[in-house]
Amino acid sequence: MKNTTLRLLAILFAFAMVAAACGDSDDDSGGDSGSEADAGDGGDAPAAGGGDFEDVTIDYWLWDGNQQPFYEQCAADFTANVQPGITVNIEQFGWGDYWTGLTAAFASDSAPDVFTDHLARYPEFVESGVLVSLNEFVERDGVDVDQYFPGLAELWTSPDGERFGLPKDFDTIAMVLNTDMLDEAGITLEDFANAEWNPTDGGTWGELIQRLTVDANGVRGNEDGFDPSNVAVYGFGIEGAFGAFGQTTFSSFAASNGYVATDGPWADSANFDSPELIETLQFFADWIEAGYVTPIEDVESLGGTTIFQSGGAATQTNGSWMISTLSGDATEVPVAYAPLPVGPEGARASMFNGLADSITQSAENPDAAWEWVKYMASPACQDVVGTGAVVFPAIPSAATIAQEAHAANGVDVGAFTIHVDEGTTFLFPITDSASRIEDIMGPVMQQILRGEGTAADLIPPAAEQVNQVLGS
Amino acid sequence: MSTASSTTVGVGGGQSKTVGARFGRSTAWLILGVIILISVFPFYWATRTGLTKNSALLAGDSGLIPDEPTILNFKRVLGLASDEEILEATGQAATGSFDYVLALRNSVIIATLVTAGQVLFCSMAAYAFARLRFKGRDQLFFLYLTGLMVPPIFILIPNLILIKNLGWLNSFPGMVAPFFLMTPFAVFFLRQFFLGINRSLEEAALIDGASHFTIYRKIILPIATPQLVTLAVLTYVTSWNEFLWPLVVAPVDENVQPLTVALGSFAAQNPGSAPDWSGLMTGTILAALPMLLIFFVFGKRLVDSIQFSGIK
Amino acid sequence: MTSVDVQAAETSTTRPKKVGSSSTPLDGGWKVAIWFLLPSLIGFVVFFLYPTLRGVYLSFTDWNLLSNQGEWIGGDNYSRLIDDSEFYASMRRTLWYVFLNIGSQTILAVMLAVMMDRLTKSSIIRGVLLLPWLMPNVVVALLWLWMLDGSVGIVNSFIEFLGFDPIRFFQDTGKVIPTVAGINTWKFTGYTALLLFAGLQTIPKTVYEAAAMDGASEWQMFRRITLPLMRPVLALVLVLTIVGSFQVFDIIQVATGGFGGQPGGPVNASRVIYLYIYQNAINFNDLGYAAALSVVLVAILLIVTALQLKLLRAGESDLAS
Repeated sequence: MKNTTLRLLAILFAFAMVAAACGDSDDDSGGDSGSEADAGDGGDAPAAGGGDFEDVTIDYWLWDGNQQPFYEQCAADFTANVQPGITVNIEQFGWGDYWTGLTAAFASDSAPDVFTDHLARYPEFVESGVLVSLNEFVERDGVDVDQYFPGLAELWTSPDGERFGLPKDFDTIAMVLNTDMLDEAGITLEDFANAEWNPTDGGTWGELIQRLTVDANGVRGNEDGFDPSNVAVYGFGIEGAFGAFGQTTFSSFAASNGYVATDGPWADSANFDSPELIETLQFFADWIEAGYVTPIEDVESLGGTTIFQSGGAATQTNGSWMISTLSGDATEVPVAYAPLPVGPEGARASMFNGLADSITQSAENPDAAWEWVKYMASPACQDVVGTGAVVFPAIPSAATIAQEAHAANGVDVGAFTIHVDEGTTFLFPITDSASRIEDIMGPVMQQILRGEGTAADLIPPAAEQVNQVLGS
Repeated sequence: MSTASSTTVGVGGGQSKTVGARFGRSTAWLILGVIILISVFPFYWATRTGLTKNSALLAGDSGLIPDEPTILNFKRVLGLASDEEILEATGQAATGSFDYVLALRNSVIIATLVTAGQVLFCSMAAYAFARLRFKGRDQLFFLYLTGLMVPPIFILIPNLILIKNLGWLNSFPGMVAPFFLMTPFAVFFLRQFFLGINRSLEEAALIDGASHFTIYRKIILPIATPQLVTLAVLTYVTSWNEFLWPLVVAPVDENVQPLTVALGSFAAQNPGSAPDWSGLMTGTILAALPMLLIFFVFGKRLVDSIQFSGIK
Repeated sequence: MTSVDVQAAETSTTRPKKVGSSSTPLDGGWKVAIWFLLPSLIGFVVFFLYPTLRGVYLSFTDWNLLSNQGEWIGGDNYSRLIDDSEFYASMRRTLWYVFLNIGSQTILAVMLAVMMDRLTKSSIIRGVLLLPWLMPNVVVALLWLWMLDGSVGIVNSFIEFLGFDPIRFFQDTGKVIPTVAGINTWKFTGYTALLLFAGLQTIPKTVYEAAAMDGASEWQMFRRITLPLMRPVLALVLVLTIVGSFQVFDIIQVATGGFGGQPGGPVNASRVIYLYIYQNAINFNDLGYAAALSVVLVAILLIVTALQLKLLRAGESDLAS
């Protein structure tokens, strides 16, 4: 009796252990064979010469629903004209779900073959070794990485020279203006295009913002008797939570003040404690307090763009990917765009960010995945995306198509492209541990904008924490 | 001694007591009424929001009855509205929708499988813990109980990897596996009840030569039917409401995603910048609908069975 | 083979009885028990025990979620945890939440249970009060996010109608935890009340009748009769709800953070321990540290439960005496 019992228990535990062992060995071999396979494939591939595929399905993820129809078009063209043996299956998720789903998929080694990658995320993927290096593919097929806007391709190269994505698009930042409110205040687009900003008194840009601010009694921000505690229209609307790098919020202002977030990509320290940043942050906190800028609590609960679109703010800064949303047919406020103000350093500054497509280690057929990535990074697909007028493709000729498509819709997007034309862009700061940094800086920014402390007091300890994370 | 009740000792005090009691009772009714209102109002409000256009909401249409009721939101969330209608209503070319019927079917399949498995297997285990005597029984039961303390997040990733190795990602087996065979609570709950069943019937049956399987099937299960129903109800609701596990097992596959996950991704899909409240509330009410229906049909039985779990 | 075993099992159960050994007639031993236990045992070992042990193992590694690899680093995660001020902060927030949620929920539920018992036995009312409990957390979170919205939410419209300033329920660092506690109170009070109500049904009506004859008021009856007799049920309900309350997560994940912010905001004011574990695992890919945090949380929950069970026993013996 006891023997049977023991035997059964032994079987049971053996089962559990086998399951456990399977888990381990599979995980290991999964990772190993993945990298071996692609080294091997890379070696074989030149002979195959990007050869033929049969019944291969590539899973591709993206988060921007507005772009999905154009990538569907690309996928159809790709299967019809380029690789009849490869079918592309596109899945779209909202921004939040996208990264959670991707993380879970990586954890269980079931990630899509190819996905739209973001500069804030990819260093962590590189560190974890879940992306396939594209070097051999690029070399083999002689892809010209100089065909993109300068700097975009390099963003996707790790310090040891491995390339993990091919650029698909780029984005810049500009001022978004409610023209009705500008007219009421007697301000022209040129006024904004020529505006200068500084963190001390806001400069001429600040004067414009004050004039655009109206309190509940109709008194403007530059007039006597303005009541900052009862504002009807804020002159400037913060786009969203500041976060660590403030792409659409403070980054343009801080950079035009001389702030450089990191000394180059993958730096092992960041410059959060720089006085130029602290001044800039304090400027926004003070101007919220003074009633010219939207309170951060409102922005967090409603979204900065909603506030702008519902007339709660006369202007905001926003990214070029929002043009179609902001200028769409059904929006209620008339919108125009102006370049960012010129800062104390004598120039405008827009963050220059770009997305790329990466191949994962989970890809069963990295060669086929590469064919799709290569196609998306080629003029054939980027022209299609350009006609969509949702984003600016990474290839200049395709970006021109996008600009023309915008113009055909009656939207002048020159305020976004001027930063590229005049070379007044700075690159998205690429760091490893970006989510840790976000976790440290995000709450501090919230505190500063809530007036719970000054930037000068709150930033230095957080900056030190960030440098500890980066240094380790 | 100067309390109000001391005056009620005498016969004459009866009057004041009734007045006080009546006042107390009406206050109690009032409180109860307010609590009931708070319990149901959000459902009404969500429905009302679903029947309103977003633009009307932002324009301040916040009366108890919408100014211009429309079923457009329901149509577009269910994917039945044309693009032109959507554009007109939301200002967005594309709008989120989810396959409601499919998600509903998935929720039903998952909750039914989990409930059937759990009730069967946990009642068997509970019988063993309540009636059989074997070495290490109490230790094993205690081990089971510690499972109650383990936060689901702790075992999420190891389980996910296991499911992946079994090839069960994006599948119903993967969805139900961790809950199909047991949960510590179900075993604990049924054991408590089985312990309270009078043994005399079973002892008589044993003397007649009945096996434990016969006793379990012919005596215990029939006696415990109300408790099994209670457990089934609890399990069904819990399983229906499960969110994190189905999300990680099938983050993309709509063919197996239950309603909760479908609603979650619908909420995250929000294409525009403004929260699409009327669309969201429509989705929310649709996701709540099956439980509301179950509630209206089985309300009394549901209440009775939850009550059972309280008596233990 | 199976059938043979079953038969063997059956005969073995009858044998001791006939011999009249010291074991009770219902003694079956492992041979019988295993057939009853096998499914649940597989479920337990595969989906609870093994992942738990693996989780404990992971807490001694620097396991990376994405690459699914890591190395043994001994107690490093634990010493890091001891120095991690955010761990203590998230524990404090959790305790504050548990206090508010359990407090309000229990008081309201006791009130409701007594009303159900003394005022009306209508099962329709009981059912209506149960309604919120049936709803998935995603539904609950979205419902209240909308109701409590800062600009167009009905609750704030009502507050403004009464002449007060609107309240930023999710944006004010001091209000977000009470808000979440309130939402969960909304969800669980009916359910808890029903459990307590069920407990009240075991109190014989005659006790109340006798007390009423003696001229006791409702309040006195509540204090002298209902509350003491409700204590064991109350204790049991508390054991279940407190452990659950420590694991508050879904609603915070869906409802806090707002636009562009991380869930757990503002300024981390609603980052409870469970969310902190989740973020370490899913956002920072730091499965090892998340596992260490979980181990500590389990230990805390075990202690809390042990204490409660002790109180529960004390309560039972009170009643018996």
